[in-house]
Amino acid sequence: MQIVYHLIVFYLTCHLIWCLFREKKFWNQVSVALVLIMFLLRLFLIK
Amino acid sequence: MRNLKGNFVSALLLLFAIAICFLSALKFLSMQKKEAIFPSRGLTSRKMLSSYFPELKKTWGDTDVYLYEGQEKGGNLLILGGAHANEPAGFMSAVLLIENIQVSTGKIIIVPRANNSGFTHSQPQEGNPQRYSLESPWGRRHFRHGSRLTNPVHQWPDPSIYINPAGQKLSGADSRNLNRCYPGKKTGSLTEKIASGIMELIKKEKIDLALDLHEAAPEYPVINAIVFHENSADLAALALMELQIEGFEFRLEASPLNLRGLSHREWGDHAQIMAILLESANASHGRLKGKTSPALIVEGKDKNYTKAAKLGRLFVPYDEDGIPLKLRVARHLAAVKSILSNLEELYPEKRIEIKNMPSSSELKKVGIGPFLNPPN
Amino acid sequence: MVAIFVLLAMLLKLPIGISLAFSALAGSLLGGEGIGLRHLVEGSFGYFDTILIIVTAMIFMNVLQASGILDTITSILLRTFYKRKLALLLSVMALIMFPGMITGSSTAAVLTTGALVAPVLMKMGLSKVKTGALIAMGGILGMIAPPVNILVMIMGGGVDMPYAGLTLPLLIIVIPLAIVISLWLGYRDIKIIEYEKMKAILPPSYSKKYGFRLYLPLIVVLVLMLGQSVLPRIMPDIGIPAILLLGSLIGLGCGRPFNFFRTTQKAIQQSIPISCILVGVGMFIQIMTLTGARGWILISFLSLPSGLLYLGIATSMPLFGAVSAFGSASILGVPFILALIDKNAIITSSALSAVAGLGDLMPPTAMAGIFAAQVVGEANYFKVLRHCLMPALFQLIMGVAVLHFAPFLDKFI
Ligand SMILES: [Zn+2]
Repeated sequence: MQIVYHLIVFYLTCHLIWCLFREKKFWNQVSVALVLIMFLLRLFLIK
Repeated sequence: MRNLKGNFVSALLLLFAIAICFLSALKFLSMQKKEAIFPSRGLTSRKMLSSYFPELKKTWGDTDVYLYEGQEKGGNLLILGGAHANEPAGFMSAVLLIENIQVSTGKIIIVPRANNSGFTHSQPQEGNPQRYSLESPWGRRHFRHGSRLTNPVHQWPDPSIYINPAGQKLSGADSRNLNRCYPGKKTGSLTEKIASGIMELIKKEKIDLALDLHEAAPEYPVINAIVFHENSADLAALALMELQIEGFEFRLEASPLNLRGLSHREWGDHAQIMAILLESANASHGRLKGKTSPALIVEGKDKNYTKAAKLGRLFVPYDEDGIPLKLRVARHLAAVKSILSNLEELYPEKRIEIKNMPSSSELKKVGIGPFLNPPN
Repeated sequence: MVAIFVLLAMLLKLPIGISLAFSALAGSLLGGEGIGLRHLVEGSFGYFDTILIIVTAMIFMNVLQASGILDTITSILLRTFYKRKLALLLSVMALIMFPGMITGSSTAAVLTTGALVAPVLMKMGLSKVKTGALIAMGGILGMIAPPVNILVMIMGGGVDMPYAGLTLPLLIIVIPLAIVISLWLGYRDIKIIEYEKMKAILPPSYSKKYGFRLYLPLIVVLVLMLGQSVLPRIMPDIGIPAILLLGSLIGLGCGRPFNFFRTTQKAIQQSIPISCILVGVGMFIQIMTLTGARGWILISFLSLPSGLLYLGIATSMPLFGAVSAFGSASILGVPFILALIDKNAIITSSALSAVAGLGDLMPPTAMAGIFAAQVVGEANYFKVLRHCLMPALFQLIMGVAVLHFAPFLDKFI
């Protein structure tokens, strides 16, 4: 199951990064970046 | 042009996110390095839990097992610390025993970090420090303060509802709570495998009596307690009387029949051994705690708890002096000692004799540091 | 910290999540903890699993929309219920509650079956905001209803109470509330309509074109959710995010064709504000705990004279729900059960879960309110919350009443 969740997080992380570049408003971009931190840390199995 | 500028800001924010990840990752990963323990000369051998249950090899669930075997045959005792890595009195009591004792009769096996994975992270939103330290004659010694649960990075995801090997329905996060996973499941999750490993150890080493050392919040009803399986009712009752004579107040709690998956229940039911769990009161554990710091863990002083005690909300006395770690460890070791002396009374053939047991009265006086060994 | 939050959110109009994150940072600096980067990031991880559920639920909801499943179900429900008001309201309530009952999550309810019934209610004359309120309340009632009530599990875990024997007390609380609330919100406004009129507003149904496989995503999701709570030994518990994503992927081949990546992207965009709020709240709680502010608040509530204890419960638990209902159950629910330890813990925890569940209506997180607003297409979720006020009051009174009459109920359960 861990692999499945790893893949889910990978898929969503890619979308978050994509979203970060598509988003126009600055504070919305910051919001995406804050959420992205968590996804990156879990993607690399750090936290 | 505007698009380019937008992309530039995005790239900058991405770098910012990566930088924060990197900096916090250094902190998070620093918890993976385990603190050294310097065993006494009485140590006869040292194994890993995986030598009893090979499935654990090369997982974060594998953990050190310290064996002390006497010349004469007697009873076999298992002492488990660190089943919950945020309960330092359990872990420190195990460390003090490892660094001091010699066994002349019987056999003692000590597992200081029963849930090794729990020591590698902290529980979100508890604001706990990653480490606390104690002064010893050989310099400061640092110890990790982990989490009650297995690291989610090592066991992921949690089920929505956890049905433990004993059939009890629990919230999903409890699937990472070692003391809800007994008697374990050999093909199960990492935490269930650790529980299996401990059950295997109990069987292969022919353990007669096992003690599980814990701490809990002062507002929790089962506190300063000896929780016993019905197999060890006489032993627990006699030990309690002796402890009261020595001036330690404990409450005696029978292991509830309908609360499954806990060590005191399943060790007794599945391995037919005498099983006892000990709890001491730790303010850093509680929901009412004030400022969270290493000092709160070591010195155990908390104004909120003093206030709560006055309001009659606590199940232990709690005054301005708090309940320091040295006292919590002293209580655990006093209980171990009196349980062993009464074991001999009840079952002379299961006698266990220890030399150099740290004395509780000394501990209360001089603290834990002087009982720690020099690094070697 | 609260002052800084108000300043940033109200005066500078920064997004709520970011304001929370900055005030947490400020709290850490003022509390003498430095920047406390590790604490800030660690705090946000308290909601990592919740965010996964939210994002995947949002994807699933968008898939239901894009593939035409939503329209089809709406048309079926309309055909069945267009002239039966009472039956419509009660069955709609049951439908909304269902995913919440089996997953214990109000989000799962609001974003799945809540999204299914919303168009029907609106076409039958219920206003956007009242529909939102009905869905939000249904989600919360579903979260409290048996068989799975995670709030009780969390509280039970804190006092070593096994999760057993809760079905009856929870039903005693939930069934009257479900009936009263659905009628209160809907009975006056829902209009019985003529067949011709109904025909005119009927959305296109795709059930002829795609047949049975159109319903496959819904069936898979419901079966997997149900399976993990009813047949836990046979059905694997793959967790809500995986179930929802699996359902979404199946939806790819079951109805109108759509671009899965674009749908995901849309879902991510919709879920960013709430995810960011949760990140901010997580940081905020971690720093509050670190500096001792959390303990101070708790001890203040516990210092209330015992006559005011119910008042304390009735105000603090929904208020604390601003950090999520689960947080409220864990942080406040456990001390309150201990304070009421002379009563039956099963009844106490059931009643407290009804009170704590209301936390999902409490801004800034207000998960049930925010998602319900999104489902009905209302930009300002406070408008939805306003209509939740009376139903929430019913629920609060019910919770406190059960708490008060616990010794009496004890004889029957
Ligand atoms: Zn414990």
